[in-house]
Amino acid sequence: MNAEYVLRCLLMLCFALFSANASNWLYLAKLTSVGSIANEETCERLRGLIQRQVQICKRSIEVMDAVRRGAQLAIDECQFQFRNRRWNCSTLETMPVFGKVVTQGTREAAFVYAISAASVAFAVTRACSSGELEKCGCDRTVHGVSPEGFQWSGCSDNIAYGVAFSQSFVDVRERGKGQSSSRALMNLHNNEAGRKAILSHMRVECKCHGVSGSCEVKTCWKAMPPFRKVGNVIKEKFDGATEVEQRKVGTAKALVPRNSQFKPHTDEDLVYLEPSPDFCDRDPRTPGMLGTVGRQCNRTSKAIDGCELMCCGRGFQTEEVQVVDRCSCKFHWCCYVKCKQCPKTVEMHTCR
Amino acid sequence: MAGAIIENMSTKKLVIVGVILLLFQAFSFMVGGLIAPSPTTAVYYLATKCVDTAKNHQSTKWFMPWGPNQCETIRNFDEAEALKIEANNIVFAVHIPLPNKEMSPWFQFMLVILQFDIAFKMHNQIEDGALATVDVGLAYRDDTLSEWTEMAHSLEQRKLKCNFTTTKNYENEGRYYECDLLPFMEVGSVSHKYYLLNIRLPVHERKKINVGIGEIKDIQLVGIHQNGGFTKVWFAMKTFLTPSILIVMIWYWRRITLLTRPPVLLEKVIFALGISMTFINIPVEWFSVGFDWTWMLLFGDIRQGIFYSMLLSFWIIFCGEHLMDQMERNRFSVYWKQVGPIVFGSFCLFIFDMCERGVQLTNPFYSIWASDVGTELAMAFIIVAGICACLYFLFLCFMVFQVFRNISGKRSSLPAMSKARRLHYEGLIFRFKFLMLVTLFCAAMTVIFFIISQVSEGHWHWGDHTLQVNSAFFMGIYGMWNLYVFAIMFLYAPSHKRYGDSQSGGDTGANSGEEIQLTTTITHVDGPTELYKMTGKEAQE
Repeated sequence: MNAEYVLRCLLMLCFALFSANASNWLYLAKLTSVGSIANEETCERLRGLIQRQVQICKRSIEVMDAVRRGAQLAIDECQFQFRNRRWNCSTLETMPVFGKVVTQGTREAAFVYAISAASVAFAVTRACSSGELEKCGCDRTVHGVSPEGFQWSGCSDNIAYGVAFSQSFVDVRERGKGQSSSRALMNLHNNEAGRKAILSHMRVECKCHGVSGSCEVKTCWKAMPPFRKVGNVIKEKFDGATEVEQRKVGTAKALVPRNSQFKPHTDEDLVYLEPSPDFCDRDPRTPGMLGTVGRQCNRTSKAIDGCELMCCGRGFQTEEVQVVDRCSCKFHWCCYVKCKQCPKTVEMHTCR
Repeated sequence: MAGAIIENMSTKKLVIVGVILLLFQAFSFMVGGLIAPSPTTAVYYLATKCVDTAKNHQSTKWFMPWGPNQCETIRNFDEAEALKIEANNIVFAVHIPLPNKEMSPWFQFMLVILQFDIAFKMHNQIEDGALATVDVGLAYRDDTLSEWTEMAHSLEQRKLKCNFTTTKNYENEGRYYECDLLPFMEVGSVSHKYYLLNIRLPVHERKKINVGIGEIKDIQLVGIHQNGGFTKVWFAMKTFLTPSILIVMIWYWRRITLLTRPPVLLEKVIFALGISMTFINIPVEWFSVGFDWTWMLLFGDIRQGIFYSMLLSFWIIFCGEHLMDQMERNRFSVYWKQVGPIVFGSFCLFIFDMCERGVQLTNPFYSIWASDVGTELAMAFIIVAGICACLYFLFLCFMVFQVFRNISGKRSSLPAMSKARRLHYEGLIFRFKFLMLVTLFCAAMTVIFFIISQVSEGHWHWGDHTLQVNSAFFMGIYGMWNLYVFAIMFLYAPSHKRYGDSQSGGDTGANSGEEIQLTTTITHVDGPTELYKMTGKEAQE
């Protein structure tokens, strides 16, 4: 029993050391077999968590369902944002979820780290607001000391809890390895940039409710942006990401732009250490590097989704396909669509 | 009987009184800024999507979003489509407050705002002027084990005002519309611990109910209530202020009844101002802690309305009584032209408030802004009240201008007067102007703090202390107008001192002859202050 525990710990440790670069906890999204993460034993059975994350899992078991939804959200959003790029954020059924694509310190890795840190903060905050979690907001007072808590001065925003949880859960991998490695610094920076993408796009909304509804009394609150917006913001940061290298600044090590002509990056920008590969060809040594063979492309576009760039100059084949489209539909606000089926012919271009 | 205290008081004493009042003023700001928390709290709720499996939806079943009796939930509507769940079977459930918390009567009121998250779909867009029909029930209970008791049930319509900021194409499907906040519910007392909202969006294609409202992804609610801590500090302040204003009011009226003449209009108006201040001060809200009085919110509005209209009327009459000649003044009917707009304007606001908060007593989900006719009606009332306010301020400015013109006219004839009389008039003019300045100062402070509290973020950090700007604004301004009324009642109370007793310096002994002369020339003028005599005399001339 005891030996087994030690062995498991050792295995965990080895595992953590060897694959620590990938954000393995995203594998939670793939764990559909585990129904709901309801007791502490489930925590240990979850693949992809390092030991410290398992501890967090045990300590705040109620949050883990939200974390898993966050992982799913991150993958969905990544796939939406990258749908037109050569690397389309395709996942594997094995660990690590994105194969080895994000193990190097590339732009893509920066994006994945940022979106996953943001998605955990987002999902946990949402879970707080829907009453799933019991210790949000109120036990982390933002506005200083409140003698009687909720009854005296209300609670702080749930986003503070969501962000703090994301910081402790997602960042723990990098913190464990010591602050020195440049990759850890890059990941921490990008995680924080992802969370900033939510925080700096919070919508402030106000309601007047004084005498006769006048603005004598006004209450304002902050609302989270929709996650699509967060995704768009991080994608913009991806497009303008800064290549950095580690340098000594004073006594501490810090990441500074490789090209000193560029202005230094801010907290909200993404940074990366190595240029990305071209993602053109399948690489059997790098799982997840699927190449662009067979991908659909847009013949008229000159951008990255255009056939020229997408197919890396290999050319493309065009075929006419009969698709059954839905038309003249009747919708309800939820769960009901009644459509006619209209067959139509479309040209489909796929990369060779 | 020679005049009011303000005239007979020495400058030194006046300064002392002013300093004491200023200290109280600073104290009330500090209490608000440092002790009280921010006035209100907004809590964000995300509705849980429950599935109503029962065949007929008439049953009085309540759906709990979480906890031991949690309803059957779905995460998102893609799931629902797969499970063949229809829109009519979906109930959005929100429990107020969040887990492990309790509502309290100290929260005073609770209002809830509704917001739809509607995703853009090319084929399923929000139609122009789309109406969302919401079937909503509100229930309460006081301990976590008992059954829910229904408090209100209603079928409400809300107009969706949404716009899509990016271009409408397939590329942008899945982005959310930006929708205006919808007023949803308002309850005037929070006497129960737990509240539960069950919201349905029934679809009826033939009746065109909830058709063309886009693809709803989520319902978000924001619950706003007053902070318990703020309520306690506020009540404490009111409880402290009530006796102080009451005592000075009684003292004032006793002084007036001691006079041989009947009270004049200005004295009556000041007394009425004191009464309305006391009326707003009396902390009847203490009862709301023990009783479920939903009309307290409306009652508070009415009390504030009465005080504001009294204050505005007081300013008009105060200026007017220093302006007109003897034949016309001292009758309330003279001021109908100026007081009329105040009464009419506040009556309009009263009707509007009755339409909104009055109806909410029976149906907490009612909002006058929800229907077109209601919106127009409400706007009409508010616009009329606004016009009245503008008219009033034109009259007031004109009157103040006239008073100052008369005063400067009087000043030019001052050198021709005897010394005692001149000093007396100069003192009067100074003090009248001083009071005008105080009024202006109070009004300016109110406006400035109002703007600050609107613009600022709500709290400032000042070293280790956090200053709650909004609370400081409410407490400070409330204390300020109390002190203002206090000062007016005190300074305009009739003086016991014989005329000239406290006149500055040398002319104390030698002015008895002068005094006789002064009083005999204007004996027919029997106003409360010497200034009346002056302006009245001038009008005669």
